[in-house]
Amino acid sequence: MTNTLRERVAISGVGCSRFGDLLETPELKGTSIQELTARAVKEALDDAGVSAQDVDAVFAGNAMVASSQLPGTYTQLSKWIGTQFKAGVHFEAQCSTTNVGAALAAMSIAAGVYDTVLVYGVETTRTKVKQFSPYEREPISHQQTWLWTDMAVNQAYGVPQGYDIFSTYNGLVALGYCRKYGISIEDFDRGMFELCRTRRLHGSMTPKANIQEKLEDRAAREGFSDPYDYWQSDKHNPFVAWPSRLLSLVTTADGASAMVLTRADLAKQGKSEPVEFKGFGISYSDLPWYGDDPTYWEFDKRAIDAAFGMADIKAADIDYLHTHDCSHISSICTAETIGYLEAGKGLAAARDGQLRFDGNRPMSTHGGRHAFGHAWAASAGSDTYEAVLQMRGKAGARQIPRPPRVSVIHTHGYAMIGTVVVLGSL
Amino acid sequence: MQNATEQPNTIRSYYEGLANGVFRAIACKSCGRYTFPPTGCCEHCGSWNVEPAELSGEATLLFATHNITPACHPRFEKIAPYVYGHLQLKEGPIVQAIVVGVKATPQDLRELFERGPVPAKAETLQMDDLPVLAFRVTG
Repeated sequence: MTNTLRERVAISGVGCSRFGDLLETPELKGTSIQELTARAVKEALDDAGVSAQDVDAVFAGNAMVASSQLPGTYTQLSKWIGTQFKAGVHFEAQCSTTNVGAALAAMSIAAGVYDTVLVYGVETTRTKVKQFSPYEREPISHQQTWLWTDMAVNQAYGVPQGYDIFSTYNGLVALGYCRKYGISIEDFDRGMFELCRTRRLHGSMTPKANIQEKLEDRAAREGFSDPYDYWQSDKHNPFVAWPSRLLSLVTTADGASAMVLTRADLAKQGKSEPVEFKGFGISYSDLPWYGDDPTYWEFDKRAIDAAFGMADIKAADIDYLHTHDCSHISSICTAETIGYLEAGKGLAAARDGQLRFDGNRPMSTHGGRHAFGHAWAASAGSDTYEAVLQMRGKAGARQIPRPPRVSVIHTHGYAMIGTVVVLGSL
Repeated sequence: MQNATEQPNTIRSYYEGLANGVFRAIACKSCGRYTFPPTGCCEHCGSWNVEPAELSGEATLLFATHNITPACHPRFEKIAPYVYGHLQLKEGPIVQAIVVGVKATPQDLRELFERGPVPAKAETLQMDDLPVLAFRVTG
């Protein structure tokens, strides 16, 4: 395996909808899934300065077809985004979908097959089609969301025998982290509070985030003068997988994201500042996701090594990092595996404000899976969207003071596709 | 119409074994390691040169937490919240499974965590429609 992109590839345009609920959220309420997707795609095409007919191929991502009811996504949406007669495919890599799509696009461009490729992802994890209506939607119950989502998890032996995402992703990893590094349960809880505070701060500065309320403001709204008392309240923040609490978890969302990838020489002639797609790594594993050490996930390490090798970077080169954080403690473990944070010091870094947009180890400045929200197949694209904005210096109130020149985006396609993308200034 | 012979089904065989307290796996003739629960090839080296094996059910419980209510899967609504553990079997495989005999409370789980790894033994938990793997702390 040469692990090389033979030609330079760039992201020339990015787009993202607001993440939220198609039945409730301002800017989304009443929107159809077709229009939701079109919104993200149009933004990406406009950003790149191209039309839908300028692209050579379309990679259309959607994971939870049970709620979208859009198999054959490429054709069902083609008249909504203007891409008829293009090459295309519907694919999914669960919550890594859009970034795996970017990798597929980069390979096809570097191989000389296509010049310009549109990648998009759409997902509705909060709402589903109402009966047989072409436009009405209704809420999905918590249990239904996970039944559909867990179809991506070992259906022979895992899910049938009591597998639980919150235990596997949060509680067991948390206990492994505490034992490995000698961290008390109390210090762990405080660290997770600080990490949530940072994510919520970032969400409050991100107009497209699902949750835009700071943790402190939420606590005050609920009558708490000390936000840590709110954090420790069983009513407001119960343990979902002891010692991990509800507010350290993913927040479901409906949403869409898109990006345009093209040959680097063409991107320089585009409308917006392009960012180089320098490398990627992909590695997958079925359950169990870790061995006797729940803080170390082998498939992530392999994806990291492949991406860093292709991009020819080291951990010390990273200016901005997003790690998959539908579990906050897992996201810290991944950042430590990458080498962006010192092993065992991730929660201390959160307490010290290092992970804030204005800290020296900025992470997930859009608010991550908790505050920005998680729309499975669209989320990796939202992470890349944020990284591109940061690298352009266009991230508004949450702009990293010195725009990053190297960004790394790590995502977990559920159950599990470890995916790492490296972006660099062109 | 031809008579069709029932073909071997590894998954069915596993659950039928479980119903009788047998913990079926496969052993790899190439690398010597076990794949549990069983598939048709070795999960470690990819070899198809495997043979059926039965494991002892003896394990070490490394960590234990709990799930949520209602459970993610309706099968487990009746017993949620339940304790869910991360274990290593005597023969090597890592397993995650329901742990019986421990209450899903922060107090009990903290006590278990502070004791460190503890021995456990596999047993069968009979749900309404399916026997499932569970472990009980033995020491």
